[in-house]
Amino acid sequence: MIVRRLMAAMLAATAVAGAGSAAEKVPPLPPYVAAYEPTNVDERGAWMIADEDERRLRDSADVMRDPALNAFVRGVLCRTVGEDRCKGVRLYIVHVPAFNATMRPNGMMTIWSGALLRLRSEAELGAVLGHEFGHFELRHGLADFRNRRSGTDLMAWASVLVANSAAFQVDMVGGFYAFDRAQEKAADMIGVRYLAASHYPSHAAADIWDRMMGEADATAIGRHRKPDQRYAAGFFASHPTNLARATYLRSAAAELPDADGSAGVDGYRAAIAPWLPMLLDDQIRLNDFGGSEYLLGQLAVGGWATPLLFARAELYRMRGHPRDLVSAAGFYQEAIARGDAGAEAYRGLGLALMRSQQVEPAKTALREYLRRKPDANDASIIATLVAS
Amino acid sequence: MRLRSLFLPLAAVALACGVPAAAGNKLVVAGQRIAVAKSAMTVLPTSEWNRLGARPGRAAETWTLDGDALNDLTFYGGIESGRPLFREVSRKTKPLPTVSTTMLVTDIPALLENSYRIALGTASMTIGTIEPATFAGAKGVHFTYSFVRQDDTLRRRGEGRGAMIGGRLYLITYEAPALYYYDRSAAAARQVAESAQL
Repeated sequence: MIVRRLMAAMLAATAVAGAGSAAEKVPPLPPYVAAYEPTNVDERGAWMIADEDERRLRDSADVMRDPALNAFVRGVLCRTVGEDRCKGVRLYIVHVPAFNATMRPNGMMTIWSGALLRLRSEAELGAVLGHEFGHFELRHGLADFRNRRSGTDLMAWASVLVANSAAFQVDMVGGFYAFDRAQEKAADMIGVRYLAASHYPSHAAADIWDRMMGEADATAIGRHRKPDQRYAAGFFASHPTNLARATYLRSAAAELPDADGSAGVDGYRAAIAPWLPMLLDDQIRLNDFGGSEYLLGQLAVGGWATPLLFARAELYRMRGHPRDLVSAAGFYQEAIARGDAGAEAYRGLGLALMRSQQVEPAKTALREYLRRKPDANDASIIATLVAS
Repeated sequence: MRLRSLFLPLAAVALACGVPAAAGNKLVVAGQRIAVAKSAMTVLPTSEWNRLGARPGRAAETWTLDGDALNDLTFYGGIESGRPLFREVSRKTKPLPTVSTTMLVTDIPALLENSYRIALGTASMTIGTIEPATFAGAKGVHFTYSFVRQDDTLRRRGEGRGAMIGGRLYLITYEAPALYYYDRSAAAARQVAESAQL
């Protein structure tokens, strides 16, 4: 939702900024009403559908239920929008490797695991969740419903990376439809407002944007397409639009009194660390070499940690061009040299070397894998490769 | 919106392939060796099956007993280098990984896993055990897997047998809901897969 919202706001902002009034007035936070009940037939209908969807999601195997991770994400939401507001939200972390977050009119919020991989700090997570909450608070779902539109905002983040592998769950929405720029702007403004009221720096929302665009471009280039084809297809006018968007969010942030607190980079990294190998594995299996390589590069800005090196090695080995296999072997070796790589690094190294016809070094690495993980699920077939 | 958006693609699919697909379904008789997936691969079923007219891909074909949602035996007959396992949902936005002549046997389960993850939009696809096996007289692989389709709660189990032969991928998969159906038709499916010859 956010991305669609951000894009809409961005498009709207382009026109405005172009006219020379980039600084938008940020409306004050509306008073919050707890335990709101739907008031008319449209709204009751929208809630009924949302309630049914929530029942299904609640029982879905795709929901990540780890208490520590849920407590962390929920904590960020509560610190962003405030304790009283966050009580009205049920938050579900959904295991889908795409960048998205959604909000339904009954207070069901989702954030997808692909977003957790791509965000960098508590403030950025707060920006995403706060924007979603803004739609809830302003009851945009109802307005959507009245406009005979989906009422769900599932297109959202995924649509930015629609060129991406990660166009998951787009089927549920069934296509792109016109969106309401005024809503986007309203949710955007209230999202920035939440951030400003929290102790997180309010410019975080703008920071997410460039990386998203960069990844979408990298995906397109990786698939031998022009990066700008996608913009012509409906969403973005061009790159300057993105620039205008960043300007617009930043100027809104600058206008607000900011607590100037920590963005919570370390806390975010620590909370995500246990999940990082799984999130990376999901990503590299999407057959999106360009986007994944870009993402890994972004994640490795502070240095190539072992999980990142291993994921990069796996990514190259999966693509499997002869030069990729050489690169992959190098990355596995780097990961191994760091001393904290898992047994799978030896497996990958061995298989990459085996495909490069370096049979003896390959067997040595595979033997090491079997020594370290004798009960691996593929131990018997690896043993036949060693013996062959 | 949601209903309308669901209805249109469904209607299109029904128009495009529903009728011809149903018309193309055919009984596979027991006890006769039969070529599958438009390839040189043959199998000898000892019980009756139904061959679906709708093919998952150019060099693929599906057999079933009760419908492909309940038991699905799919043959991939000699997928060439550079081709995906089955038809892509969208070559532009969701391209599938492709077969390579230099693939190792251990890459076969990974290819199926990644293809399913992309095509079915599910991160729940996981490979269980991977073991060496003889397939159609060649050194191959036998592996198990399981997944839940997007927006579904029913876990499906599967197993695959395959090998790279002459630079092409030959693979037979059997999958069914873990609940009841998998065990019920597993023996018949294994018998067919183990009878594969080139």
